[in-house]
Amino acid sequence: MAELSNPIGLAPDQSGEADSTVSSASNRSLRLAEKEKKKSEADPFGLAVKYLSRVEAGTVVRGNDELERSLVVVETVALSNGLHPDVIRMLLDMALSLNAGTANCTRVLKFLIPATVVPQEAIVRGVSWLCVGKMPMNAQVFFVRWVLTVFDLIDCKDHLRSIYGFIFSFVTEENLCPFICHLLYLLTMREHVHPYRVRKLLDIQAKMGRQPFLTQLLALYKVFRPDLVTVSVPSRVRTGFKNYNAPWKVSLSAVQRKNKGAVLDEQSLSLDVKEKPLSRKRKLHHLEIPPLSSVFDSNSKGKVFGLQELRSFKQLLENIDNIELPAQMGSLLGSALSLHYLDCVQDESAFLRLNFWLGHSLQEEFLLCPVDGSSDNTSEACRFLSTILSSQQFLQESFSSTESFLYKFLSVWDGCLLRPQILDLLSDIPLMPSFYMRKLLFEPLKQLYFTSTVFFKCSVIECLNNMLVKWLTWHSVSVVKGGLDISLNSNSTMAMSLSGFMDSVMELVRFVGLLASEGLRLENCHVLLLNQTLAFYETVCDMFLKFSLPLIIMLPAGVFYPALFATESVSVDRLGYIMYRYRKNLTLAKRQEKQREQTFHISRNTYKEFNRNLQAMVNSMWNSSWCLPGSDLEIDKDLIALSKVAEPWCRFDLIHHPALFSYAIEFHQKAISLVTSSSYSPPSLVFAQGYNELLLDTQLDVTSQYHVEDHLTMLSLTLQAVHLLSFCCENTLDERMLHFALQTSLSVLTRESHRPLHIVGTRT
Amino acid sequence: MTLLTPFSKVPELNTATILLVEIEEQLQSKLADVIVHYENEFNVNVRLARKLPLPVENKESRPRIDLIVFIVNLLSERSLQSVESSLNHIHSDYFLGKVCFLVTDARCGSYTQDRLASVRKLAASHQCPVICAEHRTADGIHAAAARLLSILKMSAGMSPIPTTALYLSTLTRCSATSDLEED
Repeated sequence: MAELSNPIGLAPDQSGEADSTVSSASNRSLRLAEKEKKKSEADPFGLAVKYLSRVEAGTVVRGNDELERSLVVVETVALSNGLHPDVIRMLLDMALSLNAGTANCTRVLKFLIPATVVPQEAIVRGVSWLCVGKMPMNAQVFFVRWVLTVFDLIDCKDHLRSIYGFIFSFVTEENLCPFICHLLYLLTMREHVHPYRVRKLLDIQAKMGRQPFLTQLLALYKVFRPDLVTVSVPSRVRTGFKNYNAPWKVSLSAVQRKNKGAVLDEQSLSLDVKEKPLSRKRKLHHLEIPPLSSVFDSNSKGKVFGLQELRSFKQLLENIDNIELPAQMGSLLGSALSLHYLDCVQDESAFLRLNFWLGHSLQEEFLLCPVDGSSDNTSEACRFLSTILSSQQFLQESFSSTESFLYKFLSVWDGCLLRPQILDLLSDIPLMPSFYMRKLLFEPLKQLYFTSTVFFKCSVIECLNNMLVKWLTWHSVSVVKGGLDISLNSNSTMAMSLSGFMDSVMELVRFVGLLASEGLRLENCHVLLLNQTLAFYETVCDMFLKFSLPLIIMLPAGVFYPALFATESVSVDRLGYIMYRYRKNLTLAKRQEKQREQTFHISRNTYKEFNRNLQAMVNSMWNSSWCLPGSDLEIDKDLIALSKVAEPWCRFDLIHHPALFSYAIEFHQKAISLVTSSSYSPPSLVFAQGYNELLLDTQLDVTSQYHVEDHLTMLSLTLQAVHLLSFCCENTLDERMLHFALQTSLSVLTRESHRPLHIVGTRT
Repeated sequence: MTLLTPFSKVPELNTATILLVEIEEQLQSKLADVIVHYENEFNVNVRLARKLPLPVENKESRPRIDLIVFIVNLLSERSLQSVESSLNHIHSDYFLGKVCFLVTDARCGSYTQDRLASVRKLAASHQCPVICAEHRTADGIHAAAARLLSILKMSAGMSPIPTTALYLSTLTRCSATSDLEED
């Protein structure tokens, strides 16, 4: 590096050395050396530096022309090109030792503009001069301000961090305190936070009042060790640290601009000097993920490794123990590698800091800051929430800060703002005790749900369905691991017993039951809502088989009957599937109960409820009597008679069910279009043959299975066949036509049956 | 004192009337505009008032009011006070699901949170729903209008299914929030 960046700095010294060592060499090299020497003599800067490096204690300052001349030479070079690291070290040492007098101390500091970097040794020596205590106060302040200004240019900071204690001791100096606090703020790592330092800062705060710099430093301490800093730090510290870079700003940025190209090649420092003091502050009222940047320098050798330097997954694996968390934890969200790291890092402080940052941003920038009508603001928030969302999905758990933000936000939500993001975030919420669930989640959701449109209702049900699936998945994973106690969130302390878990799940299912049945009533059994609801119950009915949670909850009548009497086949079919899965789950539960005297127990009521529902289904579809006395659905005969519908009891059987009507119509249309050519055979034969073919096609054996297991499966299969046939028989088709009709119907049926849409049996 | 009563007049055919009460008249007219232009199965009349009681002079010509909406701007103390005093001029029958609170600026600085809490308490004691609105964006106003209309539909008895305003209000009314504040 020295060779690279240096026409000005080391050249004189090198040539000096060459002078002595090469003296015995050939004439030619002697000549060369001579030339060098001449050149260096012609270089006033080299001479000036040489002179200044020889300034010792007790040198006469007043009237010393040579000193004055040298200073002027160095100053001009420094302000135009910047100084080499070694020169900076030398000059800083000279200035702070006060060898050239007090006045020259500040003068030198003023033109100490680095060309590339500042060696940390220089700063360490400077701090040691500070400790000697000879310097006047204004020089001390000026030195610390200079350090703050060039902080980003210090080549590495590990030594500086190791003298943290010395630097900390200066906070008691009233004049130095603000600057020292800022320096400490930039240097602090977790291991620097100790109870006695916190105490000291609190003492000073008691003496000086709530100064922003003290509060800021304490807030940082609190981020690292919340257990040590118990005082409440105001969440809104507007004025953190001020800019101290005024004396250097212009020349530093000029020099940096000049050298930028070369420097950038060499090392990846962020050189935007103007923004430097602001780099750790966020803009107010802006939600954005900050870029990855390290608190400490990127090229501190070997010991730590900044996340922003990682380029590949392999690198991450190799350096996983030496990784340094970035300055702003929020920047982790922006990069996939960082998320990988976050996923496996054991250090709790990482999550703590991330949650602190997230909670703060969400609360301050979003929850408490209204949109002022510009779409900008909303789209920014939208992007921000989407990033959180994708990070959460990556980590497969939610951040506790988003969770508490959501609870607060739900109570002020208008149900429209950023709906997809909010609902998605909501579905990531981990399980919590049923009491809190009711208070924090269900109450506000209920108030929103019942005053909103049907589409909002659908998305709420969908969101709760996703939530349930996630909970159940967590449960099934923890069962596989063998623990009965489930701690769902790796960074939450909440562990839950199985019964607590079941309570919460029951509460959720009960809540959705209420939302769905009332919602369906209010929305007049809207198709979309009905289907979202049935999707939810498809999850619920399989809780035992799929997720091994010994809990079976039946669907309420408010959902069952609208689905049974629905006018679209999708709903009826879904209901058939749900009943079929319920039956599978219940029979398995019963078998296990008998075999192994299981500890869990499905209440008899559940079985009764299921049987009642199944009976109602069979009665209405099979036995053509949907309003039997004593069932859930009992309507006075005279009242039905008033409707003047012919044969009202068979309106919902297989033949007449409105949901299945569309198939009959489709078949009818096809049949008519295909009536052109055929051979003749008796209709009964066609019936038998067609029916058998149908059963064969769906791979079900009539004789072995009809009486045994899948009553429902058979039911829905026969449903199709009988429906079509009866339709043909009832209508005025002649036999020839019937034959063709049957053939086409079979082809239609076999094609349809492979879709998981309307025949229950094919799903198994 | 003349009380506003919900059942003293015969309703007009296929028409529902909504009354928006706001002392500062900021959101009122914008909201009314959106409500009127919203596509509906029934006719909607929007009436505006700064506060209750309504003037006596055109009492006779005034249609039956099916839903009273109190708009509370959380940034001003005055708005909440005027709503509190207006509540005294409503017949208790209105509280069977025909009154609703619309809150604006709910997420605007921490000091509005206390006021929001008192609005909620007020609503809970009168068993009314509280709706938050993002009144600064067109989308927000539109969403608020849609929600108000869905309540109006029930409270005016325009819904084809057998349900009542009272029944809906058991589902939507604001509950006391004292426990919520702990977290």
